[in-house]
Parts: sequence; structure tokens; C-alpha cells
Amino acid sequence: MSEPLIPRRTFLRGVGAVVALPLLEAMLPLSALASSAKSRPNRMAFIFVPNGMHMPAWTPPTDGVGFALPSIMEPLKNVKDSLTVLTGLTQHNADALGDGGGDHARSAAAWLTGCHPRKTSGADIRASISVDQLAAQKVGHITPFPSLELGCEPAATAGDCDTGYSCAYTSNISWRSPTTPVAHEVSPRLVFERLFGSDDPNATAESRARRRLERRSILDFVMEDAHQLNTQLGVRDQSKLDEYFTSIREIEERLNRVEKSARQLPAPETLPTGVPADMGEHIRLMYDMLVLAFQSGMTRICTFMIAHDGSNRSYPEAGVPEGHHDMSHHAGDPKKQEKIRLINHFHVTQLAYLLEKLQSIHEPEGTLLDNAMIVYGAGISDGNAHNHDDLPILLAGRGAGTIQTGRHIRYSDGTPMTNLFLSLLDRIGVRAETIGDSTGRLQQLF
Amino acid sequence: MTGRSRYLIALLLPVAALGLVTAAATAQHPIGTTQARLTSHPAKDRFASEIAPLIRTYCLGCHSGSKPPAGIALNGFADTASVLKARDLWEKVARNIETGHMPPEGMPHPTAAQRDAIVSWLHATLSAADNGRPDPGHVTLRRLNRTEYNNTVRDLLGIDIHPADDFPADDTGYSFDNDADVLTISPLLMEQYLSAAEKIARAAIVTPESAGKSVQFKAEKLPGAVPIAFPGMTGHLFSTNGEIGVDYPFPQAGRYTFRARAFGQQAGSEPVKMGFLLDGKLFFTAEVKAVESAPAVYEAVGAVPAGKHHFAVSFLNDYYKPETPGHPAEDRNLIVDYLEIQPPPHVMPVVTESHRRIFFTPAPASKEVYARQLLARLARRAYRRPVSEAEVTRLMRYVHLAHQEGASFERGIQLALEAMLVSPHFLYHVEIDPRPNDPKASHLVDDFEMASRLSYFLWSSMPDEELFTLAAKGKLHDPKVLAAQARRMLQDPKARALSDDFAAQWLQLRKLDRIAPDPGRFPEYTDTLRQDMRTETEMFFDSVVRNDRSVLDFLDGRYSFLDERLARLYGIKGVEGDGFRRVALDGDQRSGILTQASILTVTSNPTRTSPVKRGKWVLEQILGTPPPPQPPNVGVLPDERGDAVLKGTLRQRMEEHRRNPQCASCHAMMDPIGFGLENYNAIGKWRATDGNLPIDSSGTLPDGRSFQGPAQLKAILLGKKDLFVRCLAEKLLSYGLGRDILPTDRPFLDAIVRKTAQSDYRFSALITAIVQSGPFRMRRGEGEKPS
Repeated sequence: MSEPLIPRRTFLRGVGAVVALPLLEAMLPLSALASSAKSRPNRMAFIFVPNGMHMPAWTPPTDGVGFALPSIMEPLKNVKDSLTVLTGLTQHNADALGDGGGDHARSAAAWLTGCHPRKTSGADIRASISVDQLAAQKVGHITPFPSLELGCEPAATAGDCDTGYSCAYTSNISWRSPTTPVAHEVSPRLVFERLFGSDDPNATAESRARRRLERRSILDFVMEDAHQLNTQLGVRDQSKLDEYFTSIREIEERLNRVEKSARQLPAPETLPTGVPADMGEHIRLMYDMLVLAFQSGMTRICTFMIAHDGSNRSYPEAGVPEGHHDMSHHAGDPKKQEKIRLINHFHVTQLAYLLEKLQSIHEPEGTLLDNAMIVYGAGISDGNAHNHDDLPILLAGRGAGTIQTGRHIRYSDGTPMTNLFLSLLDRIGVRAETIGDSTGRLQQLF
Repeated sequence: MTGRSRYLIALLLPVAALGLVTAAATAQHPIGTTQARLTSHPAKDRFASEIAPLIRTYCLGCHSGSKPPAGIALNGFADTASVLKARDLWEKVARNIETGHMPPEGMPHPTAAQRDAIVSWLHATLSAADNGRPDPGHVTLRRLNRTEYNNTVRDLLGIDIHPADDFPADDTGYSFDNDADVLTISPLLMEQYLSAAEKIARAAIVTPESAGKSVQFKAEKLPGAVPIAFPGMTGHLFSTNGEIGVDYPFPQAGRYTFRARAFGQQAGSEPVKMGFLLDGKLFFTAEVKAVESAPAVYEAVGAVPAGKHHFAVSFLNDYYKPETPGHPAEDRNLIVDYLEIQPPPHVMPVVTESHRRIFFTPAPASKEVYARQLLARLARRAYRRPVSEAEVTRLMRYVHLAHQEGASFERGIQLALEAMLVSPHFLYHVEIDPRPNDPKASHLVDDFEMASRLSYFLWSSMPDEELFTLAAKGKLHDPKVLAAQARRMLQDPKARALSDDFAAQWLQLRKLDRIAPDPGRFPEYTDTLRQDMRTETEMFFDSVVRNDRSVLDFLDGRYSFLDERLARLYGIKGVEGDGFRRVALDGDQRSGILTQASILTVTSNPTRTSPVKRGKWVLEQILGTPPPPQPPNVGVLPDERGDAVLKGTLRQRMEEHRRNPQCASCHAMMDPIGFGLENYNAIGKWRATDGNLPIDSSGTLPDGRSFQGPAQLKAILLGKKDLFVRCLAEKLLSYGLGRDILPTDRPFLDAIVRKTAQSDYRFSALITAIVQSGPFRMRRGEGEKPS
């Protein structure tokens, strides 16, 4: 019997050739939608990696321009000029503050919210709205999708995930409201269908219009049901049903926007598939979706959770057969630290794929990377100490000409990471006074 | 919580119903006799005189001040009333003293009599307070989780297409993925509800509009398929010659077009060849020159007589040349995306079973009357309750819409079904409170709500006709009927859901999918073996359900279900050939779930065993006495240091836990249990040595009891059977209700454990006691927003 032989190397070429390119050329007019707000479009993405970083191989030794890339960032050499390394940022609310263990749960839950999540493994989860969702609620209406949530692991399905903290904390970084995490999509195919539809490519304009009418009728019908049901519920259940109302409304608004743009989305010849077994391929496919979504103007806001915090996945791809979390408790052992560095390096290698791809796409003014702000990093600094200060945070992209890149900026330790969020929100057209524990805007970005 | 503790339960039920309710709670403490019992409590002053001095002597040394261990401070309690104000805290105290976890090793210990005095006083006081005000609790409006959605679609329509497999994973609360408060709906999920509803309605109802349209069958979902995923395509992988196909009912004789989308991994001198077969006879051979970057559709036309025939595609020319020096291996394979059958123009597909179920009665003269009949029945089943005329009228808009668009009658019903499947009445477990904002207003849930509670608990699906009929007759108020239904339902094949959903989460079997033991150390661990491990434990659980065994079998059942691969891992002889079978176990190595490979693997690290994880697992999942959370930024133990400094067995390294007082008290609970299981390696294989050193699987528990090896450890656990049964009852009740267990559930749980013990711990007795309990049959309003 012959063994199945799968030429891994050809996967991405396949996607690039079959799906992305013809589709994108066909869709180019749509990006007019994205830039229709006259100003140059800017995008914002947050990419989360778990269990901290091997900091000695992450933090550049010198500050300012002309810093040398430390070994973990070495894969980023082709996009170095578009990077800003931010050292010294802190998520103080991820600290125990009297709540004992659970740093992984708090790390993920605080990462984009800046809040101190309530310690519970069940009913009464409470964090706060995350920076991406704040932006989505303010400027999300400009694009067909207010935001896009991606991940490589489904939310964990069993057990209290971290010493008394619900799995909702460890497996989500995006929160629509203090009690509602935003589910992320892990299948590239489903992301694609969500963005571009899975309609019959041969359907006529007339049948598509009829389908829209039917869909609207169904949305109306279920809204009536929900309103009627709402009158019979107590306030607690009403606040649960609120999620239903919000979701239906958001879909209605999107239908409106798509109709207004009055553009037929071309049907792709081939869809990307389910989840590949190789993690690198999986991450790169999801990055492809992120690029597609930004390039086509379907959304300007994205979060991406590479793995849930505390993940004990092994990384044979990177030469680490041991569990990530186990290794992160390295206790100063150089062998374990090296394994952490290998995992960090593996993740950054995938990031290089994303950033180079964004840089290769030219827009009227600059590249897609020039017109984006990609925040990459972790909510824990050293996985052994579980500290939430001196976080490893990298900002890629020039934010549509609003960020001076190619620098390593060192802030005084304890500078809230939420200050960065306020500065990013400014650049995407959202004026916010505070988020989480913010104390003001982050200086020196420009 | 404390605000609620003083409420009197105001029963909204007629007096006649009262007897039933109290029978479900506890006969000796009828609901509604509250305050008198509390104020005249005989134990009121005993705290100050007898208990407080013991607490002072044995606990306050550590547990006082501003930063007490585990955040537990016991100073400042003067009398019974003050204890009752901190119920959660004292529940913990009772459990920790009862199990011997506290006081920790090395500190002064109370005598056995003193220990009993503290524990029995706390139990009596906390229970008496509870019995005075039984509170069935409030379950938040709960949506169907993915499993429930799939099963409900299956039982509603008779189509098993698993639409929810594409939904985002459900978040989990207290260990289960059906926790009402944690299950949320997002726009992403709503979009998927909409598109799933469309797919389901299309699959369930055959419309004239579908005449002449082709039908596709995804190759990887066909029987015997080997699913494989590529970036551009998912499908079935032919790595050797073979075929894969589908039975299809051809509605009438004619020339049908057959298609398959495929590509080849080319090797050797000729292209990949794919055959088309009808009823096993090859009628077309395609040369599949297409490659992965551009799969192609191959088609052929054939005349087919009416009736069911088997259409298959086959791989005809497998080729493989192993690697030789300087030449990589050559391998020719065929990957098929889907099979497709297109009927001649205007030929309607054969009417499906699901279609017949929906159009259950012949059409009367009036289409209007007919549509109302069909929709009323469908909506009643989809919403799991009677529907009003007004609701049917609202659904009729789709029949009218289809008519206006010039579409068929069937299309109208199809659209109405699509709308029902997105309605909150389908997507949520709707339970209505007469006084929804009044937390004092407890009431029995109505009969249809009860039918759903039973069916989603035991089947993870909607009620069947028998439950609907009993609900319509108002019989599900009767505890005897509940007991009879529970027994009937446990014998139904759908009760398999208890193994697949409840047991898989209780025992954390789902984690197996995410565990990757190091292949260098554990070469025998393969995907197949992992699946076998899970199958063993699920079959074991299912057999306890099916054969109504004692739940104590989980601890020490001397049988299991093995196939040859697992038997080899266990070193058990005489199990040969394919398939699982019941195997009687003797000797000291295996019995019950604790020594099953699935459990031993999920509680290990990728490269080695973890006595801490195993001990913690037993405390949490078996004894229901979880250790306190790890203190923040706890130092890392020498055992975790690099390999260079490691000496001795893992156990010897871990004895370090004992030397550090900060770690000792908790690890004294976890580690010994884990040591007792050290004879099983990280994938559950028996071993006598670790490295070159012999395994020492003896241990001493915090309560002073010692054991030598896993069999004696299990004997000790068996001696704590009330703790185990209570733990299992808590897990089942939490799963059955979709909410976490609260201190107010204590009297109900006490009664459940007692009743189970009275019936020799039979599984059906435990389930019956749960479905007859107050929290399962009642609910109350909840005026507070989640804070």
C-alpha cells in the first residue's frame, strides 16, 4: 500500500493561484467602497499569541531607528522598515490584584479590553468591550462587515480553563460587551463564504434579488417573534435575548450596505477548504483571508487569536514536541527557553508571510501595509513569571501615513497598553476618551 | 446570593399541587415553613460554645488577617447567624475538613471526634437553613448548543446532515457546553443560523423548482471515505485502488449525466485514471490529468432505469515506488471532491422521507387549509409546544409570498420552515415564568417545558411523540410518570447522547483531540489508538446506562470494552481481531474509569505523566473537592527545572513539593493520588519502572489513609462513595439544567444522593432522583440583570 503523499509546499501556491488572484482582480472596484470616505483608508488588526515570549530574543538591544532585529524577529527583515517595536507596555489589569492564579485567562481577557475580568468559571462572566469592537461599533458601518474575528483554535470545549476562570476568557480576545465574547471563525472556507457568499455562481440577478427579498422577510418574521417573546421575559432573560436582537440588526444593516453598493460579488472558481492539519498552513490561510478582507474593503477591523492562552499544543513543525505551556514554565532552563524561542520564531515566520503579502498589494497611495496598523504580541511577557508588564508588542504598518516606522520605542515600564489603543482609535476615526486603564494617548508614534 | 437567602418562597401553585412539589424536594421539610425553623434552630448557640473554639485552635493560626491562605479568613465569626451569612465560605470549610485536606500536614490536627463535631454541625446548620427555603433557581434563557441543534434537526425532519458542525464552538461554563449564561449568539453565529436554515429546508423538502437540477454528494461524507483537506478542496483520498459511491433513487428511466470533480497526484508514466460505475459495472474511464492547483470536473452520460442504483467512482491505476538513494518516492493518488447526478430536464427528484413527514396528510381541496395543517404541525414540533392560530397565520405569509412570486406551494412551505429554524422559539429553550421579575415566585415548569427538559437532558434532542402526548395530557407533573419516562428514555438509543456529551465532558474526553503525546517517546500512540481510548470509555459509560449498573462501577467495575489494539496496550491477552467487545478484568491493574487509557492520557503531559494533573482530576471530577487555585506567581518547583539537574524518578523529584510549605498543603491532596497512578505511563500503559528505577506507587492521603498501588487507592476512593455520588449528581444536575450548581441546591442534592444510595446506586435511580428534584421540575423569576 502506498502512503498518501501530500506536497505541502504547493498548498499556498494553490490558494494564491486559484482563489485569491482572479477573484481580487474582479473585485477591485469594490475597494472603491472602502476608500469612498474620501480620506485614505486605514485598517486595524490585532494578532494574539499565547504564553508570553522569550524576551531576550525579542527586545531589540538598541532604541530608536536602525535597531538590529533580534532573532525572533529575524523573519521580518523584508518589512523591517514598516515596523515599530513598542517596549514597556503593560496590562496591569491582567495582574492578580488579589484574585490569585489565572494569569493566562486574564492575559487574554485583558489584552484588548484593558479590564480586570471577573474571576468565575461559569455563569457570570464579565470583562469589558474590546478596542476592536469599540471601533466596529463606531466606524464599522462604513464597510459591509464591521469587524472580522479569526482564530486557529475553536473555543475550548471542556473544563474550567484556568484556575477558576471560564474558558470564555482564555479563548476570546474580542468582546462585544462586558458579558459577550465575539466568537471567532477557524475555518478558512467558512471565513471566505462569510465574506463573499456561497451563492450558486450561476444564479441570475433576478433570482439573487428574489433571494434577498426572502431573506429580508425571514429577518422581519423572526424579529417579530423575538419582540413578542421579549415581553414575556424577566430582565435577566431579556438581556440574554438582546444578543439575538443585536445579531439580527447587524445582519439587516449589512444587507442594506451590500444593496447600496449595488455590486455583484463575483463567485470564486474555487473555495478554500476546511482546516489543514499543519499549523503553519492554517495560519497562512487565515492570513490570506485577512488580506482579502482588507483589500476588498469588506472590513477594516480584524482580530486574530493564534491559540488560546495557556495552550499546551506541541509544535513538531518548529522542532518542539513538548507542550507550549509546559515549556513556557522554563524556570531559567536554557533548553526550555530555546524551545520557547523556536515557537515564537515559528509564529513570527507566519507573520512575515502576512506582512510581506500586505506590502505587495499596491493601493492608490502606498501599499496595503502602509495603510494598516497590525498589532502583534502577547498578554504575558515571560511565560515563567507570568508578568503582564514589559509586554512583547509589535506594531506593523504606517497607519495611512500616521506612524513613523522603522523604530524601537522604549516607554517607561507600566505604560498602559490601552494608551496605544486610544492612539490607534484616533487614526481610524474613533474619538474615545478612555478604554480600560488608559491614562492618555501613547506618545512618540509619529 | 445573600440577598436572596432571606426570601420566602411564594408558591403560585394551587394547594393541590403542593404535595407533588414537596415530594420532589424532601418529604420531611415541606416548602413554605420557613422562618420559624430558622429562628428556633437548636444549633444556634452551639457555634459560639463548641465550634468556634475548635476553629480558633486549628484554623485561625493561618486563616485570619488581611492576606489569609486561599483568601479564606475565618476570624470574625461569632455565632450561627454570622456563619449563615457566609454560606459559600463555610461550605468550603466543611468540605476541606471532611476530606482531610485541612488542616495541612505538619500542623496540629483535631481529633476524629472534634473533626466530626465541626463537620456534622456545619452540615446540619447549612442544610437546615436550606430546607427552610428551597430555591429551585433560575435558568437563563438558553440557546441550543451545536449538538442539540444537530440532533433537533435530525429528529424534527429525519435528516442527519449535521449543519451545526460549521458553527463556532460553544464556550463552556462550569465544565459543560450547555451553560445558559455562557452560550451566546453573535452576528457570526446568526449568519450561520440563516444559511443552515436554508440548507436544511432545501434538504428536507422537494420542490418542483428543483426538477432537472443536479444533486451533489461530498465525497468525504460518503461511507468509507478517507477525508482529506487541501487549500482549494476537501475530498476523499484514494491512496490505493478502490471505489466510493452512493445509492440514489432514480425517479424515472432516462439519460442521466454523472459527474465527479477530482484531481490527481501524478506519478509514473501514465495519468491518474478514474472509473465511473453503475451498480458495480464500469461504464466510463476518465484520464484525470488535473492537478491540485486546478481540479477538473469529469462527466459521462448513461441510460438508467427507474429505481435505486449505486453510482460510484473508482481509482484504477495506483502506482507507488519507494524512495531510493537519490530518487524520492513516487506516489500516484486520486482525490475526489464530489459526485454529482443530473437528471434529464423536468424530472423531479424522488420524494424523500423528510418531505413525506412534513406533507403528512393528503392535500384537501383548499390549499389554504392544507398549508395551515402542515405548518401547525411543523411549528408545534419545531417550537416543542402548542402553537396558536395567530402564529400559524403569521407563517402563512410564506405560502402567499411564494404564490406571488409564481413559485410552488412546496416552496412556500420550505420558506416557512426556513423562518421557523431561525425563530427564537426554535433556537432557544424557552421557559416562561408567570412572574418573570419576581425571584420569590417559584413554580413548576409547564408540561411541554418539562418534556423538553427531559429530552435535552437525556437525549440532547427534542421530545418524541410519546413525551408530547404526555405533555398534552398534563401527565408530566406526576413524579411517577417522570420516573417511568426517565427509565424508558435511558433505554432508547438516543440516550447515547449521555456518553457522547455528558460523559465526554465530565471525564474531559474531548481533550483527547488536543493532546499530542511525543511521538518519539510514545510511537504506539496514533489517531486510531486515540479514538479507541475514547471509544472504550464511552462504551463503558454507555453500558452503565444501558444495563442500569451501579454508578460505583465507574470507580471499580471489573470489566471494560476493548479491541485488539487497546488490549495490546493494556497487556491483556486473548482479544484478537476487529471490533470492541466486553472483556472481564481480573488482577490489580485495571478496573473502572481511573485506569482507562483515555483518562490517564488526558491527565498527562506530552512527554511524561503528571501526578499533579491526575490528582487534581480525581479531586475535581470524582470527589467533587477541587483544590484551591494556585497562588499567583507561585515559584516553579525544582522538578520543572531543566533535564540536566533531574535525578531519580519523577516521584522523587516531586517530593520537593512537600518541602516548600507554600505548596505543601495543596500538593498533599493532589500528589499522593497521582503517585498511586504512576504505574501507568503518559498514554496509560502499565509500567514497573520509570527510567531505570522502580515505580513507587504508594501514598498517604491527607486524612492519614495509606495505600500501596492503584488497587488500594481505588479501594479508598470506593470508601468515599457518598462524595463520589454527590459529585456525579452535581455534574448531572448542572448538565441537565444548563446552569451551575449553587449552595441553594444542597438540600436537593442531599435527597438525590440519599435516594440513589437506597436503590443500590443504580444509574436509573440517580437519574430518576434528579428529574424528580425541585430544581429540575421548577423554576422562578429572576429580576436582576447579570451584574
